[in-house]
Amino acid sequence: MRAGLSTIQQTLTPEAASVLNHSIADAGRRNHGQTTPLHVAATLLASPSGFLRQACIKSHPNSSHPLQCRALELCFSVALERLPTAQNMSPGLEPPISNALMAALKRSQAHQRRGCPEQQQQPLLAVKVELEQLIISILDDPSVSRVMREASFSSPAVKATIEQSLNSTPCSVSVSNSSPIGLGFRPNLNRNLYVNPRLQQGTGGGVQSGQQRGEEVKRVMDIFLRSKKKNPVLVGESEPEMIVKELLIKIESKKLDGVLKNVEVIRLGKDFSFEKGEIVAKLRELSGIIESKMIGNGGVMVDLGDLKWLVEQQLSLGVSNSGTVQHQQVVAEAVAEMGKILVRFGGGGGGGRLWLIGTATCETYLRCQVYHPSMESDWDLQAVPIAAKALPGMFPRIGSNGNGILSSSVESLAPLKGFPTAPTRRVSENMDPFRRMFCCPQCMQNYEQEVTKLAKEFEKSSSEVARPSLPQWLHNAKVHDDAKTVDQILTKDQDLIWKQKSQELQKKWNDTCLHIHPNFHQPGFGTERIVPSPPISMTGLCNPNLLARQPFQPKLQPNRNIRDTLQLSTNPVTSQPSDSEVSPPVSPVRTELVLGRSKGTMPEKNQKERINDFLGCISFEPQNNFHELQSDKLLNTSDADSFKRLVKGLMEKVWWQHEAATAVATTVTQCKLGNGKRRGAGSKGDMWLLFTGPDRVGKKNMASALSELVCGASPIMISLGSRRDDGDSDVSFRGKTTLDRIGEAVKRHPFSVIVLEDIDEAEMLLRGSIKQAMERGRLIDSHGREINLGKVIFILTANWLPDSLKFLSHGITLNEKKLASLACGGWQLRLSLWDKTAKRRPSWLHNEERSTKPRKETVSGLSFDLNRTADDGDDKADGSHNSSDLTIDHEEEHGFVNRLLLSPSTSPASHDLLNSVDGTIVFKPVDFSPIKRDIANSITKKFSTIISNGLSLEIPNEALEKIVGGVWLGRTGLEDWLDKVLTPSLHQLKSRLPTNASVTTDESMVVRLETDDDSGIRSIGDLLPSSVKVAVEGL
Amino acid sequence: MGIVEEGHNVKVLGSGDEIIVLAHGFGTDQSVWKHLVPHLLEDYRVVLYDNMGAGTTNPDYFDFNRYATLEGFVYDLLAIFEELQIESCIFVGHSVSCMIGAMASIHRPDLFTKIVMISGSPRYLNDEDYFGGFEPGDLEQLFEAMRSNYKAWCTGFAPLVVGGDMESVAVQEFSRTLFNMRPDIALSVAQTIFQSDLRQILNLITIPCHIIQSIKDLAVPVVVSEYLHQNLGGISIVEVMSSDGHLPQLSSPDTVIPVLLRHIRHNIAQ
Repeated sequence: MRAGLSTIQQTLTPEAASVLNHSIADAGRRNHGQTTPLHVAATLLASPSGFLRQACIKSHPNSSHPLQCRALELCFSVALERLPTAQNMSPGLEPPISNALMAALKRSQAHQRRGCPEQQQQPLLAVKVELEQLIISILDDPSVSRVMREASFSSPAVKATIEQSLNSTPCSVSVSNSSPIGLGFRPNLNRNLYVNPRLQQGTGGGVQSGQQRGEEVKRVMDIFLRSKKKNPVLVGESEPEMIVKELLIKIESKKLDGVLKNVEVIRLGKDFSFEKGEIVAKLRELSGIIESKMIGNGGVMVDLGDLKWLVEQQLSLGVSNSGTVQHQQVVAEAVAEMGKILVRFGGGGGGGRLWLIGTATCETYLRCQVYHPSMESDWDLQAVPIAAKALPGMFPRIGSNGNGILSSSVESLAPLKGFPTAPTRRVSENMDPFRRMFCCPQCMQNYEQEVTKLAKEFEKSSSEVARPSLPQWLHNAKVHDDAKTVDQILTKDQDLIWKQKSQELQKKWNDTCLHIHPNFHQPGFGTERIVPSPPISMTGLCNPNLLARQPFQPKLQPNRNIRDTLQLSTNPVTSQPSDSEVSPPVSPVRTELVLGRSKGTMPEKNQKERINDFLGCISFEPQNNFHELQSDKLLNTSDADSFKRLVKGLMEKVWWQHEAATAVATTVTQCKLGNGKRRGAGSKGDMWLLFTGPDRVGKKNMASALSELVCGASPIMISLGSRRDDGDSDVSFRGKTTLDRIGEAVKRHPFSVIVLEDIDEAEMLLRGSIKQAMERGRLIDSHGREINLGKVIFILTANWLPDSLKFLSHGITLNEKKLASLACGGWQLRLSLWDKTAKRRPSWLHNEERSTKPRKETVSGLSFDLNRTADDGDDKADGSHNSSDLTIDHEEEHGFVNRLLLSPSTSPASHDLLNSVDGTIVFKPVDFSPIKRDIANSITKKFSTIISNGLSLEIPNEALEKIVGGVWLGRTGLEDWLDKVLTPSLHQLKSRLPTNASVTTDESMVVRLETDDDSGIRSIGDLLPSSVKVAVEGL
Repeated sequence: MGIVEEGHNVKVLGSGDEIIVLAHGFGTDQSVWKHLVPHLLEDYRVVLYDNMGAGTTNPDYFDFNRYATLEGFVYDLLAIFEELQIESCIFVGHSVSCMIGAMASIHRPDLFTKIVMISGSPRYLNDEDYFGGFEPGDLEQLFEAMRSNYKAWCTGFAPLVVGGDMESVAVQEFSRTLFNMRPDIALSVAQTIFQSDLRQILNLITIPCHIIQSIKDLAVPVVVSEYLHQNLGGISIVEVMSSDGHLPQLSSPDTVIPVLLRHIRHNIAQ
């Protein structure tokens, strides 16, 4: 791969190769399987001064505002996020180049060759693909042009723009094109192409390409020499300050010739901007200083520093309206004062000339334009765009003669003065709670873009005022500023049309969002969370500061989303627990037998009680913080809402582990809110839960239920111990280490629940790796690669049981192991009619094999004996567990648990694990006797409703246990089985019963549900027999 | 002084007309040429520079992406050529710099009159039909050792590579320059070097190459020089010296410097 890549790179110029490298790195970072043209396009766009960006701006029919490109970037980032992630990446490889990209590269080579026949003197790497050619070929790619279309850019138009600029020399662009933007693709042709970008970047600006900066300085000098617009404002990010510094040093050292030879520099200190109230006074002072310095000097240069002090106050939200107004007045006065100073010394008649020099970011400068519309002319300013160097060395800077993007956009701002505003209407509409947007931030922004465009068209048609589409904050600023001039004479019809159109747009983006960002709309993370806070969407539309804040970042983590939203919400909707759904409080110790029928949610107070109970009955260290969590966080009603949903879902699936379900829900909710035990707020997305206790089925079902509820998919099971359950047959896992399997699973499903079974049986090294992963949020696989854990919820399962809960497992005679051995193997049931007195006859006659039924079957009035613990010697023969076996088993198990839990010194890793997880949930051992009793009751009830003539039903213990095992471990619910299997058999039995016999024999006859030989077929995974044979014998 | 000169600590010495560029290898800096330089000053203009990542360079300039392949170093070299406006030179490379120079000569054959390769290798890993000296497992161990304790690794690695005991001056010197590197950068560079495979592009190198090699070199088996000789695209000559170690110009200057000078001064007979 590397060799292949390097040969490709040889065909590219360093610039183009660097773009390709960045794209591959990007694809690698995003864990994509291939590097596609989309990656390349996104990389090209990511550079603020890049060709592609400029060409896009230039080609856009409606506007040339740089911020327009933001929509494009967003569309690309959405498109990239939708790409599939790598499936079977071999270790250490970068994502290979996709066929589409390879085709684009080949195309660019072909283009290049056609274009430059004169380069043939270089035999080996005869033709190097220039960046422009690469861009053109990338634009030809259908996927790229589709994304561009989404952002309302036309790739052919952009392509044409680039081609045009390639054909014409940079200087003649303005001739062929009416647009004032000179792309100036190659102003600096003799640049050293091979230089390490870091060298150009310099550290703290110390090292800088003398050549390049020299050029900028020269441009600024030229401006000084002009008579009009002679005061430069260097616009750009960070770079301008360096240039100004260099320039002023030059001036101060008096090494320059001409008018700048003898110029004094006055720097407005940083404190200048702090004392807002005294600005005017300070400026008057300054005027005096200037006057004194003028004498004997060729002139004075005032370094204004960063102009943001002129506008920054308006942005802070905290300032009250009157404060803002007051401040505005002060600044406006200052602007006027400075204007006066300039007029006073501007004539040049006195001693010398006065210059101003300042810096500003693009945004600041545009704001200055808005807030102080007359400033540019009064102060005689000339904006000098200085390109930022995000990818220095890769892209040349923008036009060197001052007609870059900025000045063109500045010009296009001119008609803006005094336009009538639609934004007021729009804002109020967004406040309307019924027409709120239900979109994620990305789509919200897209929507905004479109609304802006719509507004523009609308305005055009209604008032004939051409307005460029501007970012929202500009509209808003205008509203603020010219509140009095707002023109609201629009007719009602126009209003109506506007409303309709904007609603259409809203719907469109809502749908789109629903379509492409389903995660955002998932219950628990999405809409409902956003809904309670309509003010956000409103502010999002009009305040640029908020726009930049967390909730609107495209790469938002869902949990952060909830959190921030909740913090911002002014009046969260209070949840209304529905009374009808409230089930009576249940003691946490009792095991309910509801088998999926329970639809009731637990009321909140019960939950709390329950948790307290839970805390009371165990003193397991990690659990202690539940109470805190409960009290400090869950009181928030909206959290409680999602919490309840989780509890309800979990309880339905794992009805016998109420406490555990509540605990899981609590922990998960807390972690989602960023209050995980391990890491404070701002945590990573991964979550680690430890399910501990002997209840394997409970743990497994809990994990499944959680996965279904949180991710909508079944969990990925990876067994760390010796046990290999059914889920392990995945062929692709063969021959891989467990660690790599985990890594693979995380990579493939970054939003899933991954169950790591039997962590207590895992080898030390593996445990260490997992612990490390917990701490770092990244898993290091056996190849040393780091895998980000994304939003995976890890569930570790272990058999450990805290000492305080040990007592619970004493006296439980039926454990899961036994159930499993009972339930597996093809056993059948049959219904037979017995004579109470003639007990054994049928068994001698018909059970030719070993009798499996207990001997003391008809002892009491109860037709089955629950308390029977020991089976007969007969049973011993087939190796099934009798009571003594069970006890031994138990002891062994306890010994194991003791070793693990009691002596942390013997297994420090396990102890560490307990401390590092986000939450430990204890699954108490299950006591099956109540379950057995309940199942028996259900069967008997069924029996008596169908066969109502007083016949009694007898279920031998063995059969009952098998049924319990089948229900417990199998996939069929008891209700289901009763309805589909037992009921028909009961009906059959009823029809076969002698009509009169029932009356006469009810005292002496009994129906038995007993085990039968294996003969039937059952569906896979089903442990209950699919039919019950009816044997009416003995009559 | 330009940024490139500054960044790479470029030094131009001597008074000759012909330019000779000396490029050091992994774990060293331009001081590795200290025995050779005095002999060149009269006849040549000697250009010395440090590869990015060497202990003497600013670690902030080390872009892990740029130097993830040898190309980054190649561009650096070309940038130096450009900044110094070198139009033609003799390139003397040691270890990895042999390949860096060779790759640069593919990009810009016009800049090189000949390349003198000291202990160069196009591929360090063994392969089918190729013996580079290292098995993948060896490298994993090496990298792991670098990761876990760089200092310890340096003290162990230096005598192995230089081929002397801990006490020898050359080993001390190499340990010094090696330990000067920031550990993460050293690891990254080592990985870049050991993962490089230039066998496929050797035939694109058309500049005359003088391949000089110690008879005993931990990093580069003698057969590699023969492989280079067979596969280079231009003419080449091999001289295997009786010296020991990967840094013969440092460890046994008495035998090596005369050989080097001979190869620098004389061209391969046509």
